[in-house]
Amino acid sequence: MASQRPTITVFSAEGKSAGSEVLPKVFSAPIRPDIVKHVHTGMAKNKRQPYSVSEKAGHQTSAESWGTGRAVARIPRVSGGGTHRAGQAAFGNMCRSGRMFAPTKIWRKWHVKVNQGQKRFATASALAASAVAPLLMARGHQVATVPEVPLVVDSAAVAGEAVSKTASALGLLKAVGAGPDVEKVKGSKKLRAGKGKLRGRRHRQRRGPLVVYSAEADGKDLVKGFRNIPGVETCPVDALNLLQLAPGGHLGRFVIWTSAAIKQLDAIYDSKKGFFLPSNVVAQADLSRLINSSEIQSVLRAPKGDARTKRGAVQKKNPLKNKQVQLRLNPYAAAFAKEKLGELKADEGKPKPVPAAFKEQLHEV
Amino acid sequence: MSNVSADLIWEVSRPYNSFLVQRKAGGAPRFSRDPLNLTNLHSRKYAGFVNDKAIGIVPNEKGGVQVISKKPASANKPASGVYKVTYGGNKTSRKTYKAVANQAAKNGYRPDLRPAAVARASAIRRSQRSTKPDPVKKPRGAAAKRAAADKQ
Repeated sequence: MASQRPTITVFSAEGKSAGSEVLPKVFSAPIRPDIVKHVHTGMAKNKRQPYSVSEKAGHQTSAESWGTGRAVARIPRVSGGGTHRAGQAAFGNMCRSGRMFAPTKIWRKWHVKVNQGQKRFATASALAASAVAPLLMARGHQVATVPEVPLVVDSAAVAGEAVSKTASALGLLKAVGAGPDVEKVKGSKKLRAGKGKLRGRRHRQRRGPLVVYSAEADGKDLVKGFRNIPGVETCPVDALNLLQLAPGGHLGRFVIWTSAAIKQLDAIYDSKKGFFLPSNVVAQADLSRLINSSEIQSVLRAPKGDARTKRGAVQKKNPLKNKQVQLRLNPYAAAFAKEKLGELKADEGKPKPVPAAFKEQLHEV
Repeated sequence: MSNVSADLIWEVSRPYNSFLVQRKAGGAPRFSRDPLNLTNLHSRKYAGFVNDKAIGIVPNEKGGVQVISKKPASANKPASGVYKVTYGGNKTSRKTYKAVANQAAKNGYRPDLRPAAVARASAIRRSQRSTKPDPVKKPRGAAAKRAAADKQ
């Protein structure tokens, strides 16, 4: 099967084709947004720092309830006098200067354990999705100028000091068609809404391409070159991270691979003990091809009716307006109309005189 | 690859994607900003980025329309995977529509998109028509008298 797998072009530093690589097996893993979303939700929680309100907040007063009989609520009230605070309600979550309802504690369950098998499945799925151009576009990456997805750059272009400077790293990105995506990130920087501004999350911006390299073959100098380009992230191929491959749990991160990294990918997945790449439940994902396949078509009933089939009594017709329907109900209507019987006057002349005998009887005394 | 198809991509990207425009009003239609979408409606049929074969029509800068269509063979090559033809503003509308219709439906490309393609091309052509400037308003009443006085 290995020989049947598609090949991908490797691009040089100038954006020209410089050989090809066999597409690693992981790219044919099933694309499962449900699993990726679920795993991402768990994993995203594991970098949180505990926070809580002060243990003492709202309780730094010696308030006591006044009990009943004073025509005020039984909530604890600040004792003493000589200040406005005296006699005010305290402690309750409904009180001014009271404690909050269910004060947050640092021993909340901050972290979520995600099973390793699930994490590996999700990563494989996210990698497979990163090789589908429409999903990249759906995520919002500007890939219209990218020559091929997945985008593989020759390791010679990043070797040693080649892209250890930001300018040369940016030049490489532009040469391989990733320029518009970097530009998009640059223009996307906005001030964050809300309190996050004060908590070290002042700005928010889009994510650009993720550069995946092989730490052994490519060295780590390229990290320095890429780290100051907004939105661009780097990741060694043996430490792929779902949070980078599917930010926000959304599939389709634009990934730029070095040729050494993509060469290593198959070996990395082979070395994972007890893990087999997930296989697709349905071998053919194209529904119309499935439906039109001879296997399916041969067992289907033939369609009923002809190419043009007269509809039965689906609609009620008004017999007073529709002649044909009227004739069906009243065959006499044809003769009636032909003789124009409807237009005849009920003309019978003057009324006949009443017989004299009748009048006589009528006027009898 | 066998693990990917337009049907799958649609199911993955239907709930949310970068082209989708959702307005808050309940029951408002969901629109799409996809350049390969002929009706700008968020639907399987018109979602150009999803389908292997899709047609988009955008106004040309110098008048006329530009028709973009996808090459099904190079689905994973975004830079070279689209085919662009321009029908300039000097071409008659009728000929433009004919060309657009043929491009959509001939050779079994996407016959179902023919009416939508022609309608979009037509709408773009209509928007490119120059509008007659409003005639200068004649002064009336007091303004007319003043203007007459100024002339003398």
